[in-house]
Amino acid sequence: MKRQLRVDWPVCKARGLCFELLPEAVSLDEWGYPIIAKEISPDLVTAAREAVRACPTLALRLVEARG
Amino acid sequence: MNSSVMVWPADPRSTGVEIRRGRSLLSGVENGPDLQSHLRHHGPLPTLGLDELVGRTRGSALLGRGGAGFPFAVKLEATTKSRGKPSVVVNLAEGEPASWKDSALSMVAPHLVLDGASITAAALGAAEVHVVLPGDRSAVRLQLKAAIDERTERFSTAVADVAFVAGQAAAVVELLSGRENRPVTSWEPAAVRGLRNKPTLLSNAETFAHVALIARGVGASTTLLTIDGDSSRPLVREVRLGKPWRKVLRRDQLDGPVLLGGYHGTWAAPGALRSLTVSRDSMGAAGLALGAGIVLTGDRCPLDRAAEIATYLASESAGRCGPCVNGLPRLAAALRDAARGLGGTTEIERLAGLVERRGACAHPDGTARMARSLVTSYAFELREHQRGRCCFALGEPRKAG
Repeated sequence: MKRQLRVDWPVCKARGLCFELLPEAVSLDEWGYPIIAKEISPDLVTAAREAVRACPTLALRLVEARG
Repeated sequence: MNSSVMVWPADPRSTGVEIRRGRSLLSGVENGPDLQSHLRHHGPLPTLGLDELVGRTRGSALLGRGGAGFPFAVKLEATTKSRGKPSVVVNLAEGEPASWKDSALSMVAPHLVLDGASITAAALGAAEVHVVLPGDRSAVRLQLKAAIDERTERFSTAVADVAFVAGQAAAVVELLSGRENRPVTSWEPAAVRGLRNKPTLLSNAETFAHVALIARGVGASTTLLTIDGDSSRPLVREVRLGKPWRKVLRRDQLDGPVLLGGYHGTWAAPGALRSLTVSRDSMGAAGLALGAGIVLTGDRCPLDRAAEIATYLASESAGRCGPCVNGLPRLAAALRDAARGLGGTTEIERLAGLVERRGACAHPDGTARMARSLVTSYAFELREHQRGRCCFALGEPRKAG
């Protein structure tokens, strides 16, 4: 199963922990909001779960990739 | 006045909206909007089983008329496959201020819209039917409420906020859930998990009116357009799908800049519509979108218009999603700079890329689409502005072709 990270945009407050924990798949735009890679490769799934748990506003979800 | 034309004074301060008689949806312009006239003109309300409704809406290739163009039959099937008793929602909140077609349809044929909702609800065994009315068009609200009072079925009504994003599907579900009428992240489509986490079939008013006609054996072969220019009153007309744009617009309109699909739409270069037809396929192949059928014509400089529209759209952000809150004002500024000849197109495209697919609703995506299409269709004019020349201000716009 292919996975991706999705952001709950109204909830995200640009705290940046996702970038700290998962720089392989997350970068930040000039305002501090995450730019997320299209897909989370299997070797990053554990780190991605950690980022989801660590988000202070609970704005991240790891979901099955959609087309 | 021509009897096939109705002028509806939508707003006492405005010059009204002209509604022209059409072949099906707007065929009853002269008849009056009441239930008796409706039944005489269109015949009694048909009852269809779910399979028959899915089959017929698929057979006539009915696409949603709110802008996204999603196949109605697919949405209907998704609603039936999810757990829970479904609801039906008629979305009449035309957040796009340039769109008048759903309001016009409701003034002429409110019962056609309600028929479609009723037929769909009966086929689905829906628990409830909601009609979401526009907050800024009181005549439409009164007309729909009067029509609902004439019928035996039960419809609940709600009034949307006066805001560009209030009509977005997720915002409408929020409104009906008793929360603020603003978009939230929908992890699944409303048809799967919508109102009260139950499957919710939410479609635009015109889509339901087509359902009413399809159920009576008339195909969905037409679409409603709002055509508006800089000076005359908006015109709403029903056009056969596949009709050449040459036969829809005047020569001066075809040869000037046209914004198709409204403020979230795409700019067509002068004359680009001459070889195209009113259809998603024909226009899609040319990189243009029909959206909710808004056609904005005029002879003003499209660079100035695009900058004004982007500035307005930035001010209409619900203020909830970071990339939209921060990115749209910057994108609008980049368009204003380009119109003044101060900036290039790279910054416009970069900022468009930064807001796309990064919000709870389609507002940033629509704004980016409008900006990107300006760069594509008006590359020549953008270069001219950098040289300090505006062809439109000089009264010598680029010739079509």
